[in-house]
Amino acid sequence: MSYFSETEARSIIRDAYGQVHSDGVAVAEALYATEELERLPRGAVTFALGVGHPVRHAALEPGETVLDLGCGAGIDTLLAAQAVGPRGKAIGLDMTPAMLERAREHVGQIGLDNVELREGLMEELPLPDASVDVIISNGVLNLSTRKSRALAEMLRVLRPSGRVSIADLVITEALPEEVLKSPAALAG
Amino acid sequence: MLLKKFHNVGFEGVEVVARRPFGLGELVRYPLFAPEFLDFLRRVIPSHRHGELVYSIVVTARKPRARTEEEKGGGP
Repeated sequence: MSYFSETEARSIIRDAYGQVHSDGVAVAEALYATEELERLPRGAVTFALGVGHPVRHAALEPGETVLDLGCGAGIDTLLAAQAVGPRGKAIGLDMTPAMLERAREHVGQIGLDNVELREGLMEELPLPDASVDVIISNGVLNLSTRKSRALAEMLRVLRPSGRVSIADLVITEALPEEVLKSPAALAG
Repeated sequence: MLLKKFHNVGFEGVEVVARRPFGLGELVRYPLFAPEFLDFLRRVIPSHRHGELVYSIVVTARKPRARTEEEKGGGP
């Protein structure tokens, strides 16, 4: 059950992620290897807000096109771009303009030519059918009030035999209702 | 529930390849959560759950391969 409408949820999430300030590396250091972080702009590291390491399990190959849903400030997009190399492409998609702006800065700082950043919704992907080889996502699917719709869109834009690597949070035991009704819990 | 959605939409080979508990100790790392909210969680959630509020998982899956013309036509 969702306690927020789709519009309310998006507004809460945009505000939370648009206003977040971070200069810490604790999240990134808990999720990524030191050698990975050393290859990235500091801003991409300090604004890592994911919950897992989808790139690690995506088996990315040179030349592939990978879509990062809810790319935020770009840490996974940048790692994916490095993995697929100059013949490949990493597309970062996010609905929060402030996060996309950060991601653009980080792409510029690292000098990658194979990254494309787009504003959009995971429930209405601005991509053609069968246009990507791999989709990654990190702590984003749980923010959607229409998860099945988002998954259907993933399937649509994937090429046949394309694959996903999705990191997210799942509840195994119900949380108190007052927590589930909290906007802060939704954004996290 | 989430894995079922992957199956229902049409993904194949749905698999959880990583899983770890995510508790208050993990939440404090995230700038998204104000100290007041974390205190709220400590108050309303039983202490035995503080180390495992939710689980972080990584799910991998794939889109079915393209069917051959023979497969589409139900050939021999």
